[in-house]
Amino acid sequence: MSERVIGVSGINAVDNPGPGVGVARSLKEDHDLEARIIGLAYDAMEPGVYLDWVVDRSFLMPYPSGGVEAVVERLLYIRERCGLNAVIPNLDSELPIYIDAAERLAGEGIRTFLPDMGQVRLRGKDRLPTVAEKIGLALPETRAVNTAEGLLEAVKEIGLPVMVKGCFYRAYRCHSVPEALARYQEVIAEWGPPAIVQEALTGEELNTVGVGDGDGGTLGLVGMKKMTVTALGKIWTGVTVHNAAMQAAAAAFVRAFRWRGPFELECLIAGNALYLIEINPRFPAWSYFATGVGLNLPSRLVRRLFDLPLPPVPEYAAGRLFIRYTYERVADLATFQQLVTQGEV
Amino acid sequence: MDNAEQTHKPPGEAARRLGHLAVSAEGFVFDPTTGESYQVSRTGLAVLNALREGADDDAIVERLTGTFEVSPEDARRDVAEFRVSLQSLGLLHAPS
Repeated sequence: MSERVIGVSGINAVDNPGPGVGVARSLKEDHDLEARIIGLAYDAMEPGVYLDWVVDRSFLMPYPSGGVEAVVERLLYIRERCGLNAVIPNLDSELPIYIDAAERLAGEGIRTFLPDMGQVRLRGKDRLPTVAEKIGLALPETRAVNTAEGLLEAVKEIGLPVMVKGCFYRAYRCHSVPEALARYQEVIAEWGPPAIVQEALTGEELNTVGVGDGDGGTLGLVGMKKMTVTALGKIWTGVTVHNAAMQAAAAAFVRAFRWRGPFELECLIAGNALYLIEINPRFPAWSYFATGVGLNLPSRLVRRLFDLPLPPVPEYAAGRLFIRYTYERVADLATFQQLVTQGEV
Repeated sequence: MDNAEQTHKPPGEAARRLGHLAVSAEGFVFDPTTGESYQVSRTGLAVLNALREGADDDAIVERLTGTFEVSPEDARRDVAEFRVSLQSLGLLHAPS
C-alpha cells in the first residue's frame, strides 16, 4: 500500500478530551495503512500538535462558525502543502460543515465517511423517542419544552429530580424547581428551543462505539461500562462488556437508519431496563479502547473509504480495562511559535 | 406494552447471565453483561459455583456443611440470603 494522508480533528487531548488523538493513534497502529496524520487544530496549545509520534504535521483551522468556504479553502491549501487523501472530523460542531462540503471535497480527492444531515438530526434529543422505539430501547420519561410554563408543567408531571438538557448539548441534574428553571434558561440561551426535561434515572452507564457502513451493516461494535468519570463526566476508567441488548440496539440503529460513519450509543442500565440516553454522530474520546481490545475502528473506516482489504470483524474480550492517565510532554517553543505565526508546523 | 416492558428480561436471561459470569478461584466475579464486578467470600463462592452447576438448595447445604464448619440451619439461611443477593442483581430469577 502507498502512504495515505489523513486529516484528523479534535486533537485537543485535554481534561475534556477530543477524540482525535485516539483516532490518530489507532490509524498509526495499522501499519499497512502507512497513515500520515495531519492534525487539524483550532488552537496552538492542542496537545496533539506536540505528539509527533502520533500526529505528523498540524495546521490551524478556521472555526466551523466561519462557514464552509473557509474550511474547504484551508483543506485545499493543506492538500497543496502535503497532500490530503481523507479527513476524519471528530467534533460535533464540525459535522454540518464537513457534510455540506463532502461532495466538493470528494471532487478534490479528499474523502470523508460521514452520515447525511438527516441522519445527524436523529441525534437531536427531541428525536430520541422515535429512535428509541425503532431500536427497541426504553427512554426515560421525556418532554420537549419551549416555554418556562412548559418546563414547570413537565417538572410537575415527571417529578424531581429531573435532567434538563439542551436540544443538542449540555445536561444538568436538577433537584429543585428554581434550579431546573435556571438551567432551562441557560440551555435555551445557548442552543435554542426546545429544551428537554427528562426523568433522572439512577443506573450504570453503558456505551457502544461503532461504525456504520452506510448500507445497514457495521464495521464493528465495542461495548463498555464507565467505571469512573471525571468531574466533567468524562470517562477515566472503563471495562469492556458483552451486553447483548445494547449490541442488538446498536446494530438495529445502524440497520434502521443506514448509518454511515462512526457513532457512539450512550445507554443507561437501571434495574432490568436498558435506556437510550444519547447518540453521538462521531467517534467518542474513548475510541482507542476499541483499538486496544483488537477492533481498530478508525482503521476499518479508512479501509472501507479506500476500498482496501477489510479483515473479518474480530471478537473482543469482556473484562478488559481502560485506564486513562496523565502524561507530560516537553516541547520546544519553536513548534508553538511556528504554529501561531504560520498556522502550520 | 411500553418500552420498559419490552426490555424486561425473561427468567432465562438471569440464568444466562449467571452462566456467563467470570468467576476466579479467589472469589472475584465479573459480569460481562453489565461490567459490574464483585468479591464473594469462600462460602459465597461455594454457593455461587453450586448454583451455576444447577444444584438445588439441599445439595448446596450438604456441600456447605461438608466443607465448612457450619450447621445445616445456618447453611440454609446463608444460601437463602445469597439467593436474594443474586436476585437483586438480576442474576437469579426472582420467584413470582
